[in-house]
Amino acid sequence: MSQGANENLDYMWVCVDILPQYVEESEDVGAVLRIAKKKKSKQRACTAREITMWGQHSQREEKQLEAAVESLISRVAHVKNALHSFIYKLENEYERLTWPSVLDNFALLSGQLNTINKLLKNEKTPSFRNQVIIPLLLSPDRDEDLAKLTEQRVPVFSHEIVPDYLRTKPDPEKQIQTLNKLCSNLLEKLNNPRDERDAESAAIRQNKPSFNPADTNALVGAVAFGKGLSKCRPPGPVAPGHPGQGPMMSGGPTLQQVTIGGGSSQQAGMGGPVAPQQQGQPGRRPGDLGKMPSSIKTNIKSASGSMHPYNR
Amino acid sequence: MEAPPVTVMPVTGGTINMMEYLLQGSVLDQALESLLHRLRGLCDNMEPETFTDHELVYLLKGQQGNPFILRARRSLSHPTSPWHLRYLGQPEVGDKSRHALVRNCVDVAASHSLPEFLNEMGFRMDHEFVANGHIFRKGAMKVVVSKLSRILVPGNTENTERLSLSFLVELSVTAPAGQDTVSEDMRSFAEQLKPLVHLEKIDPSKQRH
Repeated sequence: MSQGANENLDYMWVCVDILPQYVEESEDVGAVLRIAKKKKSKQRACTAREITMWGQHSQREEKQLEAAVESLISRVAHVKNALHSFIYKLENEYERLTWPSVLDNFALLSGQLNTINKLLKNEKTPSFRNQVIIPLLLSPDRDEDLAKLTEQRVPVFSHEIVPDYLRTKPDPEKQIQTLNKLCSNLLEKLNNPRDERDAESAAIRQNKPSFNPADTNALVGAVAFGKGLSKCRPPGPVAPGHPGQGPMMSGGPTLQQVTIGGGSSQQAGMGGPVAPQQQGQPGRRPGDLGKMPSSIKTNIKSASGSMHPYNR
Repeated sequence: MEAPPVTVMPVTGGTINMMEYLLQGSVLDQALESLLHRLRGLCDNMEPETFTDHELVYLLKGQQGNPFILRARRSLSHPTSPWHLRYLGQPEVGDKSRHALVRNCVDVAASHSLPEFLNEMGFRMDHEFVANGHIFRKGAMKVVVSKLSRILVPGNTENTERLSLSFLVELSVTAPAGQDTVSEDMRSFAEQLKPLVHLEKIDPSKQRH
């Protein structure tokens, strides 16, 4: 019995826990009260109003249960049909079957199972765990109606089939066996690599790495600060060809004396402080780019607030 | 620190502080096709977009020592499109656990007189390169797979030479400051590209040597 904090709830629980089947059968509120009194004489029996409320509540629950079971039956029928057609395809049309269509079938089944799961998790669905299914009549004789209902799969509702068909939890013995089998299969595959398969996959993996970290660094350096892209550098590999330019590139921010386009003469004579590395540059500029002789020392100062940029 | 939306604050000028979240990696030529297939599957469904861009990097050397860098980019495949000028700040160092490189980013469009304008302002071009490749989008994320080429004769974008035998892969998001879920999304997307490409946070200052 539940220990409800609310006294009224206590009485409702009394009724629901012991007497659902009695009320459904008898619909006699009085009978319920008498039985309640007998079974739990220490607790006060419900008032008639509470029983009516509970009766309505149970009716609502009943309807919900019925509706849920109906929709569950229809969904399961969909899954059954999908499985049926899939198995048919696999058995009879396997020559023409393509992998994408097999995947489609699996996707369909998976979608349908998902809908069933959603239905079961739906808040309107009453919990099936509280329901009890008891077979009322078992007989070893063939039952035609049942056979028709189940498409000849279950012709007899006998003692042998009950443990399988009415089971709500997996058989512990069978479960243990299946899990053991799965684990041993996996272990076997992991511990004893099959030579052909392993060599193939290992070869594929080793021979074709898809990226080179050194290249990554080179590319990132090029994009971030022009490593390897200096215009003073002759075309070729990234290694610095001119020793004079090596320190220029690696020493941090630099400013090259760049002649843009062809008009270098306009930049002369700005005055102001000069970056020390620029002193050595004119003599070392390679002539292979066809630039003007570097007797022009261009001193570049940033256009800070005090200095008018056009004041040359 | 969240930048307030522009509509709430009085418009006194300026823009929302945008940050660029970046992950970079590379892929060898022979694996490019598989990467493109995978990206086509993972990213938004649209016509595969290729681009050819010419980027020039301008430096303005100040008294302090750290030059101010601006990147000007123009499309070689759409010559009449405006130039794109971009400023990228220093990477934010705060959070080691953040998965992507985060830096301040300001993007503006500019007319075709941009190079002359920058020269007049005192900037000098430091280096330039040509990038061409593919661009994919997934929501706010942008994946750019590009081949970088060195320009042999300055100003001549026809005569180029590839920098390396790999393509640079960059995953970036431009978002207002303060959104840390972005780097989580980027990381989970990057997971899907493994083992073809390893996209990671590469600190450019560590690459200088």
